[in-house]
Amino acid sequence: MSESQDFVSRRTMLKTAGATLGAAAFARALAPVAEVVEELGAEEFLQKHYREMTPAELEVVLRRIEADALENYGAEVHVRDVRPREGVQFGYALNLSVCIGCRRCADACHRENNHDRRTNQSYIRVLEMQQGSFDMEHGDATYDHAVPQPGKYYMPVQCQQCDNPPCVDVCPVEATWKERDGIVVVDYDWCIGCRYCEAACPYHARRFNWEAPEIPAEEVNPDQAYLSNRIRPQGVMEKCTFCLHRTREGRLPACLEACPTGARVFGNLLDPSSEIRWVLANKRVFVLKEELGTRPRFFYFFDE
Amino acid sequence: MELAISIGAVVLAACGPDPDIIAWRAGLGASTERSPEAEAALFPTTIHEPPELTSITTSDGVPGTACATCHSIAGVTPESRATSADEVGGPHAGLRFAHGSNTCGACHASDDPTSLRLADGRALPMREAMTLCAQCHGPQYRDYQHGSHGGMRGHWDRSVGPRERNHCVDCHDPHAPRYPSFRPMPPPRDRVAPVVPRHEGAPRHE
Amino acid sequence: MQTKADSHWVSYPRFLARALWSATDGGVTFYAWMTGLTAIALVGAHAWATQVAQGMALTGMSDHVSWGLYIANFTFVVGLAAGGVMMVIPAYLYRDHDMHDVVIVGELLAIAALIMALLFVVVDLGRPDRFWHLIPLIGRFHWPISMLTWDVVVLNGYLLINLHICGYLVYMRYLGRTPDPRWYVPFVMISIAWAISVHTVTAFLYGGLGGRPFWNTALLAPRFLASAFVTGPAFLVLLLQIVRRVTTFRVPESPIRTLIAVMRVTVLVNLFMVFAEVFTAFYTGGAHATAARYLYFGMHGATGLVPWIWSAVALNLFGAVVLLVPALTRRTALLDVALVGIFVGVWIEKGMGLIIPGFIPSTLHEIVEYVPSLIEWRVTAGIWALGLMVLTIALKVALPWMQTAPAHSHDG
Repeated sequence: MSESQDFVSRRTMLKTAGATLGAAAFARALAPVAEVVEELGAEEFLQKHYREMTPAELEVVLRRIEADALENYGAEVHVRDVRPREGVQFGYALNLSVCIGCRRCADACHRENNHDRRTNQSYIRVLEMQQGSFDMEHGDATYDHAVPQPGKYYMPVQCQQCDNPPCVDVCPVEATWKERDGIVVVDYDWCIGCRYCEAACPYHARRFNWEAPEIPAEEVNPDQAYLSNRIRPQGVMEKCTFCLHRTREGRLPACLEACPTGARVFGNLLDPSSEIRWVLANKRVFVLKEELGTRPRFFYFFDE
Repeated sequence: MELAISIGAVVLAACGPDPDIIAWRAGLGASTERSPEAEAALFPTTIHEPPELTSITTSDGVPGTACATCHSIAGVTPESRATSADEVGGPHAGLRFAHGSNTCGACHASDDPTSLRLADGRALPMREAMTLCAQCHGPQYRDYQHGSHGGMRGHWDRSVGPRERNHCVDCHDPHAPRYPSFRPMPPPRDRVAPVVPRHEGAPRHE
Repeated sequence: MQTKADSHWVSYPRFLARALWSATDGGVTFYAWMTGLTAIALVGAHAWATQVAQGMALTGMSDHVSWGLYIANFTFVVGLAAGGVMMVIPAYLYRDHDMHDVVIVGELLAIAALIMALLFVVVDLGRPDRFWHLIPLIGRFHWPISMLTWDVVVLNGYLLINLHICGYLVYMRYLGRTPDPRWYVPFVMISIAWAISVHTVTAFLYGGLGGRPFWNTALLAPRFLASAFVTGPAFLVLLLQIVRRVTTFRVPESPIRTLIAVMRVTVLVNLFMVFAEVFTAFYTGGAHATAARYLYFGMHGATGLVPWIWSAVALNLFGAVVLLVPALTRRTALLDVALVGIFVGVWIEKGMGLIIPGFIPSTLHEIVEYVPSLIEWRVTAGIWALGLMVLTIALKVALPWMQTAPAHSHDG
């Protein structure tokens, strides 16, 4: 009896030692996570969903984001919360006959929205298409020769701000939704980074922050909003917001201002005298992948 | 309870979008021009005025030379039937000329070098060149007026702020109006794998 | 054996302690096996931690191919979990008594596979620290609109059901009591339907995406189930042979034969469905065919998945032939090779061969290839090692007690 008890306790000791060793090894293996957790802070960890925050709570968050930008990027920025305006439904149209494929829109987006400099990230991808074909199979987004090329036309693609957005439906945590003025936004502080929306989007409109964006302090655009162009954290989704920090205050989006040819038309769909409404009424507009039923608010057209 | 709410959400989603969306989609057919009074209440739209409108860069490379600098001298009168810059000679030599089969006199007033000449023979100040362009390029002018041709900056909502628009000649050299071809901004660099180029000659990117 | 007073409050902790003891007790082989798995799991844990800290740029994924090896493995192990039901159905619906004796092996496999599936989702998250956003009531659970929330429900539900069934049966054995069928038979019946739903929901996760023509097919869910009922039995037949060899647990021959009989059908159904998809894609052409063409033949000089998919085809065909010829099936060594081949074949077909081509060409028809990075392989190996550890421990705890049961005591 005592012998077997001895045996048992010796085994117990050995097992305890083994378990301790194992636990220590796992703790050591997971050390990089501990550093991240330390940096995160309880306040950020427990932050509520954008739509659940009171104005006071949101205010605290905005100031924290500004402090983070100063600490991590050395940039003085101002982060606002810009809400949709009553009586405004945004729409966008693009004249494919006029677009010359210069990518200035993509570049303006890159700078306006504080995208990662190394990857030359942008919400806009310009496809060089074969004249006489609408088959994207023959498109090319990485062309690097003088434009416009004979026999080609150019089709910039960005978020279509669908009225029936598949990306919003699939999000498991409601981190992305359609705002009252039609803009689909992401709460970068609520997104868990599962990338289901990226798989669901038929327009390659969503981007993931594979790592924290890298931007030199002097290139950071300080005019920022919570739901749009503030510097995004690592590991979350982002997307085109029609520059809501500009457009909700009546200004034109950055990509439109950068367009030298005026291929881009932006405005309020509820205003019958707006340019966008004139285009919709007078041009033969179409939307991309209409058969999918996403009902985009981004229209394309050719001049006759 | 939560189940009921969720089912309600599904039903709602199936019923369709909110009234605003229905409103704009239904209103598409009717297009309304803004009344002059309504227009007056808004911030203005100004048209950018490129210096090329009233001056040229001479063939010996002096920019901003006003037309009158030479054309006020007696005897320096434009040759209205000339069809190329070489025929005109002098400071205009080397001017690229590729605007259909137009002659100089199609647009320039032969008696007044600082003016343009409309098709009905009336003179038009250089600054109002757009009206001249519009004589032939009606559809483009119409598109321009409705904001779907020609770049702009400023506000979409002119009850909030003004807007500045490009002039035709900001993009189109009146003597060779085809938009020149040039290097685009650099292509996207996709994070990991290279995009497979579609045709030979297209470079691979990291 | 016990009075009402010291009922479960006393005996259940004792049971758990006893289980912990037997789970950590074993011979040299056992310790070597567990140490090896621990080492691999450690490598995986460290790789994941590095990925969390430095960002998912360390993976081979991109905005074009935004799901990779992790989700491929997730899809596969969900199938493995569902496949365990192929032991439950004969045991409970067809009253196969021999199968009934070993059915717990299938249920324990489901538990291990589900834990792996959940881990594969967690390692794929860009922000695992925000995991709580997914928890109903404290987070914002987008149910029932998002299929991913359905997956969270069915996977965790299936895990709980199986934990309950296995836990209850083993605990009763520990107490020396006859399990009360009222406490587990209803759950077994639910688990059968649930197993189907687990893999159906996972298929709907992809099939519901209109923008991805390669996945957007009604055949996806049936295909998922067919392949699940191939891999589940294949793994179980191999597992039962190992159990027979390394433990004293009595594994009768007939369950193995039943599982092989099941596979004879499912392996063909699976191949048939793959063929049906390939036919539809290539005969019709168009958007469906582009991804298939890239997968099977490569496109514009990009051939990253071609070796993978043809290996899968070859392995599946080889396995199907061995299973269909009784003379070959009787040769255990050959059968085992075939089973491993099928297992690997389906792993490719449902992983690299199904998840990746969903993204290639991209929705703008660009071709950006995907190659898993070393970090991804390490994390994947780590999760498999952890899964095998869970399975080993579960079997080690459960089997000795299940053995002590009098034959055919269950009340099916």
